[in-house]
Amino acid sequence: MLDPRIFKFEGARKALGILTILTAIQAVVIVIQGRYLSVSLSELWQMTPLKAVALALSIFLSAFIIRQFLTVAKNYVLVPFAKQTTDQLQKELIQKYAKLGPTVISQNGTGKSVNLAIEGISQVNNYLTLVLIKFIDMSIVPWVILVYIATIKWEHALFLLFIYPVIILFMIILGYTAQAKADREYDRFNRLSNHFVDTLRGLTTLKQLGLSKRYAKNVYEVSEDYRKATLGTLSVGILSTFALDFLTTLSIAVVALFLGMALMDGTISLVAGLTILILAPEYFLPIRNFANDYHATLDGKNAFSDIMDILDQTELTDNHLYQAQQSGWQVDSQLVLENVNYAYPNSDQLALQDINLSLTGFERIGLVGTSGSGKSTLLNLLGGFIDGTGDVQIEGQRVPHLSQVDWQNNLQVMPQDPYIFHDTVRANLAFYTPQATDAEILQVLQRVGLETWFNQLADGLSTIIGDGAVQTSGGQAQRIALARIMLDQDRRIILMDEPTAHLDIETEMQLKETMLPVFNQHMVIFATHRLHWLAQMDWIVVMKDGAIVEQGTLEELLANDGYFVELQQAMKGVNRHA
Amino acid sequence: MHDFWETIKHDHWVFPYLKKYKALLALIIFLGFMTFFCGGALMFTSGYLISRSAQKPENILLVYAPIVLTRAFGIGRPSFRYAERLTSHNWVLRIVSVFRKRLYEIVESGTKSIYARVQTGEMFNLMANDLFKIENMYLRVIFPSIIGWLLYIVGSIALGVFSPIAALIVLLVLGLNTIVLPLITLAIMGQRDAQQKQVESHIYTDLTDSVMGLQDWILAGRTDELVQRQENDFKRLGTLQTKDDHFDWWRNFTSEIIIGVVALILIIFATITFGHSQLGVNWIAAFGLVLFPITDALSSISQGFGELPRYTDSIKRLNDMDQQSQSEQNQQLSQVEAPIANEIKLNAVNFAYANSEAIFKDLNLTIAAGEHLAVLGQSGAGKSTLLKLILGDETPTNGNITIGGVNVGQLQEHRAEIVSVLDQQPYLFDTTVSNNLKLGKLHATDTELWDVLEKVNLKNLVAQLPEKLDTPMTEAGKRFSGGEKQRFALARILLQDTPIVILDEPTVGLDPITELNVLQTIFETLQDKTLVWVTHHLTGVELVDQVIFIEDQGISLAGTPEDLLNQSERFASLLVMDHGI
Repeated sequence: MLDPRIFKFEGARKALGILTILTAIQAVVIVIQGRYLSVSLSELWQMTPLKAVALALSIFLSAFIIRQFLTVAKNYVLVPFAKQTTDQLQKELIQKYAKLGPTVISQNGTGKSVNLAIEGISQVNNYLTLVLIKFIDMSIVPWVILVYIATIKWEHALFLLFIYPVIILFMIILGYTAQAKADREYDRFNRLSNHFVDTLRGLTTLKQLGLSKRYAKNVYEVSEDYRKATLGTLSVGILSTFALDFLTTLSIAVVALFLGMALMDGTISLVAGLTILILAPEYFLPIRNFANDYHATLDGKNAFSDIMDILDQTELTDNHLYQAQQSGWQVDSQLVLENVNYAYPNSDQLALQDINLSLTGFERIGLVGTSGSGKSTLLNLLGGFIDGTGDVQIEGQRVPHLSQVDWQNNLQVMPQDPYIFHDTVRANLAFYTPQATDAEILQVLQRVGLETWFNQLADGLSTIIGDGAVQTSGGQAQRIALARIMLDQDRRIILMDEPTAHLDIETEMQLKETMLPVFNQHMVIFATHRLHWLAQMDWIVVMKDGAIVEQGTLEELLANDGYFVELQQAMKGVNRHA
Repeated sequence: MHDFWETIKHDHWVFPYLKKYKALLALIIFLGFMTFFCGGALMFTSGYLISRSAQKPENILLVYAPIVLTRAFGIGRPSFRYAERLTSHNWVLRIVSVFRKRLYEIVESGTKSIYARVQTGEMFNLMANDLFKIENMYLRVIFPSIIGWLLYIVGSIALGVFSPIAALIVLLVLGLNTIVLPLITLAIMGQRDAQQKQVESHIYTDLTDSVMGLQDWILAGRTDELVQRQENDFKRLGTLQTKDDHFDWWRNFTSEIIIGVVALILIIFATITFGHSQLGVNWIAAFGLVLFPITDALSSISQGFGELPRYTDSIKRLNDMDQQSQSEQNQQLSQVEAPIANEIKLNAVNFAYANSEAIFKDLNLTIAAGEHLAVLGQSGAGKSTLLKLILGDETPTNGNITIGGVNVGQLQEHRAEIVSVLDQQPYLFDTTVSNNLKLGKLHATDTELWDVLEKVNLKNLVAQLPEKLDTPMTEAGKRFSGGEKQRFALARILLQDTPIVILDEPTVGLDPITELNVLQTIFETLQDKTLVWVTHHLTGVELVDQVIFIEDQGISLAGTPEDLLNQSERFASLLVMDHGI
């Protein structure tokens, strides 16, 4: 039930220790509360005047208040510990994300990563507070009560002790049945519950097909099917709660009957009988509370192991092996890759195989190949976001991978969809150069051709852009990425991953005019499907199935008449006039 | 809190259904009431039973009634609870079916045939989530509150039978639990909720920024800053949550103390009322124990009220949507049958979206039957708008658009018989391949399906699937590549078999070789149809008869590809650029 990793957190033992002590005190208080309520009631039953019973009644009430107070105190002990622990986990998780890098995160799923850091953490918090309290309650309170009942009348204690495992057994049996039924229905159930969102997403298509009006009826019918399926599963699913409820309530009723018999025989006194009757529900209360939160327990446990799994993932270490010899990338700097291989995790196919590359100074390198040929993977490797095998040397220094701080300080990346932060125009543009002045930013805005767009913004450089604020088109986002590159004069290596794939041809042409001057005094590695860029490249690398099949200057490749020419013909497409 | 009452006052989504399905609702309330009633009654009769037994009655028959009742209540409580849970879920899911249909109809009436980027899947998830929240509101707030109040009132009245004064006192003291505390909770939570939501949305934006922009953070060497920022966000939320927690704990504490006090009052009342007779004293234990099993029902009201502000947004969003769609209900033109001729004509069309600059001024265009037209232009120039106008999704501010001489506004009901659309994101539903294709022609035979699959070069692929035509597409067609998805959509359009096909950038996102293959298949299979093809670059432009450029609120350039190549320097240079080296 408890994950042993919990005890490794700072303060865990102390918090759990105090919690255990408080719970033990509470258990005793519960017994006192039950006892004195019984004493009062029994005295009153003997027609003792109210005044004479005042002391017993006030002990009952005091115990009652102390018991409630202890509940609050337990929260005050455990919640800060849980909060401190989850804060710590959250921080470690974010740090880990930053260390693992974008490639691993997108393999894990972006949405899932965000969710885990928010929802997941909150579930763990829930698990640590609610569940721990209830777990400790369950481990202490019933047994203290049982021992006390045994001192009054051991037969009843024995009955209560005997019924406990029966309840758990029934819960497990029925729980399994429900699980089996749920598993069988799961597929159908899932499909039906996703159907609504699926339909809404496909509405445009339905509208095009002229079916959208008619489909409303279908939405209703599927939803009704879903209702029936849910009720089917639910009627079994809540059976285990029913069994728990049924057995505990029935046990109390049985206890009451036995007590009645015993009282009629005169074998016990009323006060003893009442005490047992009052304490019997208290005996079952912890397990009922625990069962009610069973799902929170499962969710929390799963989220906890998900988080721990991510924290246990290996990250690239030795990030400081490469020490830059001169300030930034210079005309004589060299990067050499020899026999580099890479396979994605859980895949036995090489995504990059036997890569040999030697890149020097301010070369412009074009990277071509079909989708899936390994262009993006190679760029990720060069960016230091994945770790291949083989030999890598920067400026003659041998490194295990390119996740080197000094190397990454030279890099800039222009992806297919540059990410626009939900932040001001200023912060977005000066992301790599927070010290840039407004004048510099404005100048760059003009150079990348964003002036017209910028002039219509309400708050100038302080306008918030990005998701949920002022939106940018694909072309504008690329221009912003370009502006980031322009503002940072110190970074001299630009990795481009099909930056113009989503743009219309005229926008691309305009952007190209702005981009070409930026390429001067930079090393550019440019992956593209658009062949016109190749005329501006010094060196072209042709990839197929993760391997480099040809490399050379454009002229050499054309003269070669190999795979590149084949690719070029295919891309050029139909030519009716030829 | 004011916000909350306003929302409820103008609500026509959530609360009206309570009235509409009142019979079932009454059943739920009854079952819920009985659950707690049996719980209380079990302790009540047990208390009486053992007190009476302690007097050692000479005949067991004297306690026979309480013995039977104890058993009955013992069995009744869990049974009622089981029934209540099933009934309430049934009720809620019934409402959800109605909700879904209603929501679907609202969204449907506002959807255009041309894919709009703003309508993301996320928005739909949000709507589904809203429905889920409202389900929860019924189950966690509304039902428990009504049941709690009912117990409170019935209990007080029952007590009033014995002693009106005691009933009044209990009514007042328990009122703290059932009315005063919930209202205080609502007031405090309502206020905090706004603050909390703000911080939460901040965290979400920041974290999304961190994860989506991770590459930039790492390269810029600013990851420490990122961790720091995130930590601050979480701390702010933590502080707010701690306040919430403390309030909750002490409220529950107060609520329990009130219960303790009321239990004491009941004992005193029972002693005063029944404590004088030999038989009467047996009632003291009964009254002393009756309250404890009901505690949950009474304190859950406050808890429910604390959650209410969380649901307000969902209720508001649903209500707002309703209003929107009502205002969108435009005056429908009388609908006519599809014409036989299918020449598309735009006569002096002017168009502007509400409160923005004109997109078209005095646009004239004729697309002859069987013509293949490519529409070029920069993004934002109005290519998509042109398609919407032709489809009748938008109505020109001036001028008119006809197909075969009939105003497109009058063709909406039968539009799917004359115009089909292939866009950049054709949706493949989470059902079988066959069902997806049949959306194009509902009663298509398997032979017809295989026939079109062969035309779009998918026959082999589908033949290799484990269940052939009956293989599920999996959600949103993730099983297939981009090119294959387009081919499936094309197959659907072949089945729909309309004389006019609109192609809205169908090959965006495909690599050039796949793109070319798909385009060739499109033009081959749709050879004899009128085609209006919006494209953002020139791959495959040789396949059409006519090219137009949309620019500056009209057509800036028009002609056959050959003519344009020879006469327009701009077209020629674009074509050279697109073909590259």
